[in-house]
Amino acid sequence: MLRLLVLLVIVGGGVLQSTVVAVAGVAGITPDIPLILTVLIALRYGPESGCLAGFVAGLLQDATGGGLVGVQALTKGLAGFGMGLLVGRFWVSNPLVQVPGLVLLSISEGLGRFLLLQMFHYPAAFGDLMLHVILPQALYNGLIGTLCILAEASFELVRRRTWR
Amino acid sequence: MRVGRYGILLAVLLVSLLLLTVQTRGGGTGRAGELVTIAVTPVQSLLVRIHRGGLNFWANYVDWKSVRRDNAALHEENEHLRVQAMQAGETREENARLRRLLVLKDRLPLATVAGEVIGREAGGWVRSLTVNRGRGDGIAQQTPVIVPDGLVGRVVQVHRGAAVIQLLNDPASTVGAVVQRTRTAGLVEGDAGGTVRFKFMARDGASVAPGDLVVTSGLGTLFPKGLPVGRVIKIEDKGSALFHFAVLAPAVDFSRVEEVLLVTGQTTQDVATLFPSEG
Repeated sequence: MLRLLVLLVIVGGGVLQSTVVAVAGVAGITPDIPLILTVLIALRYGPESGCLAGFVAGLLQDATGGGLVGVQALTKGLAGFGMGLLVGRFWVSNPLVQVPGLVLLSISEGLGRFLLLQMFHYPAAFGDLMLHVILPQALYNGLIGTLCILAEASFELVRRRTWR
Repeated sequence: MRVGRYGILLAVLLVSLLLLTVQTRGGGTGRAGELVTIAVTPVQSLLVRIHRGGLNFWANYVDWKSVRRDNAALHEENEHLRVQAMQAGETREENARLRRLLVLKDRLPLATVAGEVIGREAGGWVRSLTVNRGRGDGIAQQTPVIVPDGLVGRVVQVHRGAAVIQLLNDPASTVGAVVQRTRTAGLVEGDAGGTVRFKFMARDGASVAPGDLVVTSGLGTLFPKGLPVGRVIKIEDKGSALFHFAVLAPAVDFSRVEEVLLVTGQTTQDVATLFPSEG
């Protein structure tokens, strides 16, 4: 049941990314919702779930985005797995770590994607890509991630008070 | 557990690389990509529709709010303009009244002081007006008070900056008058009912008829001669009595008097021609 829910969340996030988020860009930059969801799932359920969520989300993005299918599946799968491994270390449960962590992970994922695409002769220059895509998107992800974390914390607080 | 964890990672890596390899070898996105696309496309379409619907809804809501705000602003403006129009109308009417008063003041061969009504008493026991002219303006008791339509009454109380005018229809009011057409003399008195009566008309030779104008007689020194008092609307004939009387419609609508002229001078001239004579 939980896996199904995670799957729905990640599929929903992927579809959301290609529809709603695509028109919510600021200066042409959109947040990477599937990556944010992958990170949140990895933080909550560990590396296996994070890896699978990242893989499915990435695969979906690849398929709907028109690029090489498998690139984002691979990078997001790795990102989810890596983030899941960090749970319990480096105060990852602390929101003050999670947000910068998400930004760094976004940059890492971008770098990984760029490196992977280099193998397939991706034409864009690294500097331009970093300046105009990877860094702004990482910051945007950090912002959205902060909101998600705050929303989750509020929900958790309400849930605890209600159950008490 | 650890093997499973890395097994998943390995599987993900392998599948991804396999997909990439298949694509680069054979071109296109491959069957896997197609399958994913086929599965996802309807959901995407649905989501886009929901998104567009949401945007439309939001746009409608924003429009509605805008219209509502505009409506409130226009409503407020409308109220403001209505008040302005009322004020303008009021000013126009006041202007017309003052113009008529000024014309009368200029034409009268009498010294007059213009006054503004600042109070009214119309309870029945007493019918009076208070004006903003008093002792300091040269107003004395018994000063006649007129408007362009005719006689209003006389001053019965004078204060430093105000004067109280007894209206013609006050029960204690008495004015010497004549029927303009027949010169039949009598007294105009008010009564508790608020009407004005022309009393003590001699029966003999008094062919007074409804519509006749009654004016001040000018006998005595109080009221100038010829100030319109009212028009006869009914003759009350008591049969064998020596006198009979007529019910008058006052020349002045006392309830609408807002500015008056207080006659401070005296004249023996008949001023009837200076007032409107239409019946």
